[in-house]
Amino acid sequence: MAAGIKTVILLSFVLAVGFLLIILSCALWSNWLPLLVALTFVLAPLPNALFSHCGADDFSAEYEGSAPADVGRFITSVVVVTGFALPIILAHSEIIRPAACVMSIIGGGLVYGTILSYTAAFKQEESDFD
Amino acid sequence: MSLPRANYDPRRVCMNPFPNLHLGKYTRSVGVYLAGALFALANWAFLDACILSSHAHGPPDEPDYEAPVHVSFVDWVPGICSLLGYLIINLIDKDRVKGDQGFGDARAVWRARLFLFIGFALMAGGLAGSVTVLVLKYTFNHDYPEAFTYYGYANVCQNILMMLSACVLWLAQSSASEYEYNLTL
Repeated sequence: MAAGIKTVILLSFVLAVGFLLIILSCALWSNWLPLLVALTFVLAPLPNALFSHCGADDFSAEYEGSAPADVGRFITSVVVVTGFALPIILAHSEIIRPAACVMSIIGGGLVYGTILSYTAAFKQEESDFD
Repeated sequence: MSLPRANYDPRRVCMNPFPNLHLGKYTRSVGVYLAGALFALANWAFLDACILSSHAHGPPDEPDYEAPVHVSFVDWVPGICSLLGYLIINLIDKDRVKGDQGFGDARAVWRARLFLFIGFALMAGGLAGSVTVLVLKYTFNHDYPEAFTYYGYANVCQNILMMLSACVLWLAQSSASEYEYNLTL
């Protein structure tokens, strides 16, 4: 069993560390703008999840030609780049400190990585029951 | 002597060759992801200049320092043109522009090509406009420090990246998928 209870515990731990870094980057300098990064990364997988069921039926599972799926991928990558670009821009304009920028980027990357690997780890198990 | 029969409409001025790329199974999704990333980078490069401009402040020993130039609505116009062109280009059906599918009438193909031309003209106009803004507002006859000419360069950067994103998206969507199973039951 590839994805067991240990995977869940590890992923939730990583998720907690990610949120801790983001909240710390806000609270240490009492400037709560980096919290937007957490919101962005939480919203990032949503378009793919919504649009992936459009335009695909049972016989064309491998056929990646549907326009709605492309829209979902496009929006996903826009949101992910936004999540990385936002703290850099805020730090560039000296609204937040560079340390807060680095912390929120690492935290956001951990949160998004957790979501991605959770989806990847539990997708295969789901397909066993199909 | 007779000329060989052309396999395209000889009245057409421009030929768009539509390269059929076969780079692999995931070309399409990777291309779409890349295009989205480039699009976001383009707009954040410009928004960076905007935020930087509205938070501009001088050195700490002069409190009443006034920045010589700010990002105004003029800087937004090329980006808006590019964005409109981007939307128009991507809303057009690619098969319709090719015109070899045999559906629809000939005028529909003609209209699709006209709108495609307008879209590309808007994108090129946006790029040219951003260079114009950079030259006229920031460099020509002005002697701003480098921190302020950055606004103009960010604008040019935005438009170039948006054009690149449109190219990548176009190539990704016109690359034929090898795994095309159209089962009709």
